[in-house]
Amino acid sequence: MAIDYALRMGDGKKIFLSKDQLLEEIEAGSADAADLGEIPSLSGDELAKLSEILMMPGKTVSVEQGMEVPVTHDIGTLRIDGDQGNSGVGIPSSRLVGCMMHERAFGSDTMELGHIDYSYKPVKPVVANECQAMEVCQQNMIVPMLYGAMPNMGLYYTPDGPFENPGDLMKAFKIQEAWESMEHAAEHLTRDTVWVMQRLFASGADGINFDTTGAAGDADMYGTLHAIEALRKEFPNIYIEAGMAGECVLGMHGQLEYDGKTLAGLWPHEQAPLIEKAGANVFGPVCNTNTSKTSAWNLARAVTFMKAAVKASNIPCHVDMGMGVGGIPMLETPPIDAVTRASKAMVEIAGVDGI
Amino acid sequence: MGSKEELLSELSAAIVSCKKDSVIAAVEKAKGKLEPSEIIEKGLAEGMNEVGLLFERGKLFLPHVMMAAEAMTAGVKLLESEMPLGEKSKKLGVIVNGTVEGDVHDIGKSIVSTMLQSAGFEVHDIGRDVPTRTFIEKAKEVKADLIGLSALMTTTLQGQRDVIELLKEEGMRDKVKVMIGGAPATQAWAEKIGADCYAENASEAVAKAKELLQ
Repeated sequence: MAIDYALRMGDGKKIFLSKDQLLEEIEAGSADAADLGEIPSLSGDELAKLSEILMMPGKTVSVEQGMEVPVTHDIGTLRIDGDQGNSGVGIPSSRLVGCMMHERAFGSDTMELGHIDYSYKPVKPVVANECQAMEVCQQNMIVPMLYGAMPNMGLYYTPDGPFENPGDLMKAFKIQEAWESMEHAAEHLTRDTVWVMQRLFASGADGINFDTTGAAGDADMYGTLHAIEALRKEFPNIYIEAGMAGECVLGMHGQLEYDGKTLAGLWPHEQAPLIEKAGANVFGPVCNTNTSKTSAWNLARAVTFMKAAVKASNIPCHVDMGMGVGGIPMLETPPIDAVTRASKAMVEIAGVDGI
Repeated sequence: MGSKEELLSELSAAIVSCKKDSVIAAVEKAKGKLEPSEIIEKGLAEGMNEVGLLFERGKLFLPHVMMAAEAMTAGVKLLESEMPLGEKSKKLGVIVNGTVEGDVHDIGKSIVSTMLQSAGFEVHDIGRDVPTRTFIEKAKEVKADLIGLSALMTTTLQGQRDVIELLKEEGMRDKVKVMIGGAPATQAWAEKIGADCYAENASEAVAKAKELLQ
């Protein structure tokens, strides 16, 4: 009698697939990544291993003993005290309490202090508060504490910022003006991020996390790379982590380069060397979940991309995993069956150094 | 002289090159040998479809899309004198596009607006965090054929349902199509809330809008 295996769709809906269907899905997912990224698809053995992981009967699965990897975080303590649709569970607690919970109750290897608005630009007017919070956390904790936020260059465009929205300019066919707007915004992003982090490092921060690099496109990544470069130069020993916003750098500008490489259109294995060149210690590659495809398809695709990124990177890769990324369904609280299978596959097949 | 297929292929390739001069030259060459509607639909529009696919694959970028669109506009203009009255500068449809109330993400939505405009739709991009009623008011004002609703968070997805319900209350649901998109949106969600379609990305949004409004 044929057995059907419980899986998920990219939107979290539970489905059941036969072994043959499952194998078809993972082959197709891996092939899609290979086609887009011009990278090798998973080998026969790797596909077999992935199918084994997906067919395991337990609700949760785990990595083999000895293959455990460190975990880094994003969003600071927002997952505890956030309650406005921002991934939190709404437990009233100070940021110190939230950080210590992560360290002592959740067993986090590192922790991150983040602002409710979680972008670098809004931190500027309240940086004194952030410095004070960092100092208090450092005095009460042992694990490395980073400061994290998103570059979020979109905040530099109207109506939130001083530069005209390049999307609006492009719709009016004002392409040169759009390019200039993005270039100016990137300069401001670099300047502001460095300014904020100079203060946070002086307050004892052990490192910085650039979360969702490239969210506003290639100019966002350009500004971030230059910020990493500047921070590395000023703080040679600080820990810098740069995680991406998406699997492919969105070509809003199209002509910006870093180290002679056009940033637009880069896939994870092409992003990794540039992040390293800028001076980061850890790279967080991303693969987006397609909500209309199965988790088998999505995970095979994600593992294929991540494997290539790990191979191309000389710095550790901590794959971004969570809601809608890293082969995990798009849900605020992703189902544990999908999360653990994806984590196991990323460690044991893609060879990631952390999550 | 060039066969029909060669001429169409040149038109399409000229669009993909994103160069206005190349498009103008290809249109001039095809004029008189092919019907204007064929030049536009099977030559230039095919090229725009290819541009959309290349954009999704990260081979072409947004400025290229706009340059291709501008080149297409220039090419279509050359044919206007030969087109029947009423067909000149005909838009494929009127679309109101925005990000739903409570959601401030707009890059993806803006790209969709740009691609729809490039494809020949009249697009009214009303921005982000748009109050539900504003979608309806704008649709009435511009006599929209379709409303595009973007949501980037699971917590704001409900806004897509709210707009559809308000369209029903206003007695407009039969007259206005609804397309939804955004990372947490799915085909299953579209069916659940009664949207006409769901688009995974900007290229698909163009294809589905054309299907819905043809």
